[in-house]
Amino acid sequence: MAPTELERPPSMAALFARAALTARGRGGDLPDTHLARTGVTVDGGNLAGYARICGFPLTDSLPPTYPHLLTFPLQMALMGDRSFPLALPGLVHVRNRIDVVRPIGATESLDLEVWAERFATHRSGATVDLCASVSAGGAEVWRARSTYLARGATAPEGAPESDVTVAVGDLGRAAAVWRVPDDAGWRYATVSGDVNPIHLSGLTAKAFGFKRAIAHGMWVKARVLAALVNRLPEAFTVDVGFRKPLFLPSTVTLATAQAGGGWDVAVRNARSGTEHVVGTVRARGRGSPS
Amino acid sequence: MAQSQQPTTRKAAIVGGNRIPFARSNTAYAQASNQDMLTATLDGLVARFGLQGESVGEVVAGAVLKHARDFNLTREAVLGSKLSATTPAYDVQQACGTGLEAAILVANKIALGQIESGIAGGVDTTSDAPLAVSDDLRRVLISLNNARTWQDRLKVLGRIRPGMIAPEIPRNAEPRTGLAMGDHAAITAEEWEIGREEQDELAARSHQLMAAAYDRGFFDDLVTPFLGLARDNNLRPDSSVEKLAKLRPVFGTGEGATMTAGNSTPLTDGASAVLLASDEWADAKGLPVLAHLVDAQTAAVDYVHGGEGLLMAPVYAVPVLLVRNGLALQDFDFYEIHEAFASTVLATTKAWEDPGYCKEKLGLDAPLGSIDRAKLNVNGSSLAAGHPFAATGGRIVAQLAKTLHEAGPGKRGLISICAAGGQGVVAILES
Repeated sequence: MAPTELERPPSMAALFARAALTARGRGGDLPDTHLARTGVTVDGGNLAGYARICGFPLTDSLPPTYPHLLTFPLQMALMGDRSFPLALPGLVHVRNRIDVVRPIGATESLDLEVWAERFATHRSGATVDLCASVSAGGAEVWRARSTYLARGATAPEGAPESDVTVAVGDLGRAAAVWRVPDDAGWRYATVSGDVNPIHLSGLTAKAFGFKRAIAHGMWVKARVLAALVNRLPEAFTVDVGFRKPLFLPSTVTLATAQAGGGWDVAVRNARSGTEHVVGTVRARGRGSPS
Repeated sequence: MAQSQQPTTRKAAIVGGNRIPFARSNTAYAQASNQDMLTATLDGLVARFGLQGESVGEVVAGAVLKHARDFNLTREAVLGSKLSATTPAYDVQQACGTGLEAAILVANKIALGQIESGIAGGVDTTSDAPLAVSDDLRRVLISLNNARTWQDRLKVLGRIRPGMIAPEIPRNAEPRTGLAMGDHAAITAEEWEIGREEQDELAARSHQLMAAAYDRGFFDDLVTPFLGLARDNNLRPDSSVEKLAKLRPVFGTGEGATMTAGNSTPLTDGASAVLLASDEWADAKGLPVLAHLVDAQTAAVDYVHGGEGLLMAPVYAVPVLLVRNGLALQDFDFYEIHEAFASTVLATTKAWEDPGYCKEKLGLDAPLGSIDRAKLNVNGSSLAAGHPFAATGGRIVAQLAKTLHEAGPGKRGLISICAAGGQGVVAILES
């Protein structure tokens, strides 16, 4: 099916509202919709703000997680549409894999495409993968796969088992301690546009059943990569599992270990050791599967 | 008894340099921090000389305008760069002399055999400048932090007055005189009767020479583009005396005011770095040696009570350096006199020509004499590129080293940089 092209990014706050209002009565299989935007350029001010909030240095290349900001509104539009079988409120981001095919220049013109696939059975519901592909000059430069869990939902008959486990080796002692302030979700929302109420404040998070606001998983992932930014290969795959929510405020630790020519990483609560994020970073060789 | 390894000195080689294009304040680098710029500059140098993952003996750099959080700026930049994390680093600060002083420090350790290689650099931003709370508010906040009980805290909070809230913005002014650097330079310009036209001529020439140097690719291996900028955005290739003559004076007063925004350097953001090494290290790596740092000298003047101009210290440093090296002022093929203001360069050269001044102030039997203007700032200087304080020294060292290398072996160059606080840093390079 040919992708549906959007002229501009959809408004995320409106998408959240509409998705919440149309949450009931959804079901069926995944739509084969592809949404796309072409000739997208990055706003320098937003890039600088994102870099500052995630801890990346400001350079002429996009941080490896930045293209997610460009594709996420399209994925939201796809998930918010009535044809999408799962209700957007309550979807939990459980895994995110990014393939950096090559570094992307901050001024490159980019083409975006998103779609949904792999409706799968999970022990506590169903998962779905929201995929994104970013191209420049006709060649793919970046792709990502975000796995969302819908608790209590049922995947269609014959759906495969979902795969949300990211395995890491022994990580040992923490490399860094981060104090994550209670406005971390709000701050990330201002640059990412991800205004999901569960991240914004304790009050809005309570309305959705969380005891406190929780940090954006993609912000934690970005901070991990920012901590390794000058130690990353040119082309790499970073695959993380989002385990337990990171409640705000929190003090967490980052543990890193060199593994397989890349890194194994974990972000854990500094006191309880609860795992929030575990992940792997691996260099992409020539001819890596894309 | 074991023979002690008594150090024998050797001359440090300048292998090459890298800088990002300089940007006028609040333009291309408005969002970039000192650490962003210094890290990008180091990574550019690392890429140019294939130093990825390698350790160098030491990285020495600094910034003049520095946030309190950047106390370990250079080491933090190293940790964020592609250099090995086992590379030691430290910060220096000598106002506009920072970059050249950093190069001297690295060169001296190489000369003594304490390190085999090192990187000297500097960075400054006037856009992402540190703001401080007012001194009164700062004292209140410290008391608040020390207060033990709620009653004490409330008492301390009661001391806050609305007037304390305004932040302190760093100013380009001398703490002891309250005068902006430009105001000081205007006094010197008037004392030395530096005319408006000669200042504009020097400024236009600087722009034209630097533009020509860019056009012939001179900066291709000295500059790495950053945040969309490929050339210094202060550079005006079409600058002319006629255009500059139209500008109104911004420093000095009345009829004698000659200094404009055109013949003074603007506030600028940028960073530079220079790779220095022993000849052996460069040879083992297959890297070129552009020039050697032969010798250096600093001086300072009493600009507060002593009747000397704020930016005149290099005038004193150069004769000391010449005597030690048995050279005359005319024994150089190139001169790099930092263009803080066009009038500063002109007052400097005029002072060296003045028999009375050279005798009374510098204690010389004869004046140092004049220099051949054709050999001065031949690829443009700070009036064209701009002047991110601590980054200027690295720009000049790399630029002069390449100029000397292009001219062939045995060529000699003199660097003269004036700095706030009445200081001067000068050095000799030789190809």
